[in-house]
Amino acid sequence: MMKTKTMVASLFRRTFRCNPVAAIAINSQTNLPRESLQHFSSKSLTTGRLQFSGRVFCSESGGERSSGCWNCGEKSAFLFCDSCRSIQPVDDSVDYFQIFGLEKKYEIDPRSLEGKYKDWQKKLHPDLVHNKSQKERDYAAEQSAKVTEACRTLTKRLSRAMYIMKLNGINVNEEETITDPTLLMEIMELREGIAEAEDSKALNQIRSQVQEKLKQWSDSFVEAFESQRFYEAVKCIQRMTYYERACEEIVKKL
Amino acid sequence: MMMLRHVAKKAFLGLQNPMASPLGLGRRLYHENVIDHFENPRNVGSFNRDDPNVGTGLVGSPSCGDLMSLQIKVDDSGQIIDTRFKTFGCGSAIASSSVASEWIKGKTIEDVLTIKNAQIAKHLRLPPVKLHCSMLAEDAIKSAVNNYKEKQAKANGGVKA
Repeated sequence: MMKTKTMVASLFRRTFRCNPVAAIAINSQTNLPRESLQHFSSKSLTTGRLQFSGRVFCSESGGERSSGCWNCGEKSAFLFCDSCRSIQPVDDSVDYFQIFGLEKKYEIDPRSLEGKYKDWQKKLHPDLVHNKSQKERDYAAEQSAKVTEACRTLTKRLSRAMYIMKLNGINVNEEETITDPTLLMEIMELREGIAEAEDSKALNQIRSQVQEKLKQWSDSFVEAFESQRFYEAVKCIQRMTYYERACEEIVKKL
Repeated sequence: MMMLRHVAKKAFLGLQNPMASPLGLGRRLYHENVIDHFENPRNVGSFNRDDPNVGTGLVGSPSCGDLMSLQIKVDDSGQIIDTRFKTFGCGSAIASSSVASEWIKGKTIEDVLTIKNAQIAKHLRLPPVKLHCSMLAEDAIKSAVNNYKEKQAKANGGVKA
């Protein structure tokens, strides 16, 4: 009985260091099946034998994988475990901002993405795991793809805006038709101007005008979003979509 | 099983665009109606917006940034005698608006309101991802008719007063 008590105490101490919430849960759990613990000798008291998966007890928010590394049990394995160097499976609750260690806001420095992106790919890229298990190669393919998608989404202003709206539960890509005559007339005239532009000088002129507008509406979006005026924010995104399409058209013509 | 798949593939290619390259095997191809409307679009252009007999429908799709303008010229009996359209968007959007501009010619403004996007989509064999293009065309028709009616109401209101 004393052995059991010391076992429980050491288990509690160990888990408490790693994961306070789980430890408290375990403590309450072990009150019940006390008899079963007597069968375990203190030698075999490793987290391997007594597998209290953190995921079962913890109700954690955010992307921290509470169950730790699948390979070595290291608790803080975010995408990649630094202690045993194994790639972790994709966790859908991890969002793109977390991958790059950024706050969930629209204004970010795109240059900070490039460096972090390369760092992640040095660890996660499928080409680096040829001699590992099929399971880990699959994880590599999925994680690497997710990081690439994250970088792509966050780099461009428009996709970043749409993503941040999505994180707040607002889906911008509704199929409702736009009928706002002022906006549509403006875009119509813009597109006609592009179609009629004679030379690259004229096109570049239009392009700089459009990019001005993009910046302006991007700023309006930030304002609307931060003041929680989501309807307005959606309108800003719609405008930005049209301006982006116009830019693409110009580039095609050039 | 292999034979059946092979035959089906051949039939698929035969029915679809005969101009498709052999490398189009398995890829989604545009239906010949779409290609026809894209390469020979009918009724491209514009009318004078201020003309009292002209109704202008201007609609946009937020998801893909498509833009569609459909104009109708209506006579005194309410029949659409001519149409013009201008669309900035993908091949399916252009074809949808071209089809719409064809179909509404000769019909009355009340009749054309019954044209459904499903009919346009079926005619062009649009894949699911392009169904919103036909929806946009249907909305463009309604928008043009509404615009015409508003103009008529204003004009009549002016005369009465």
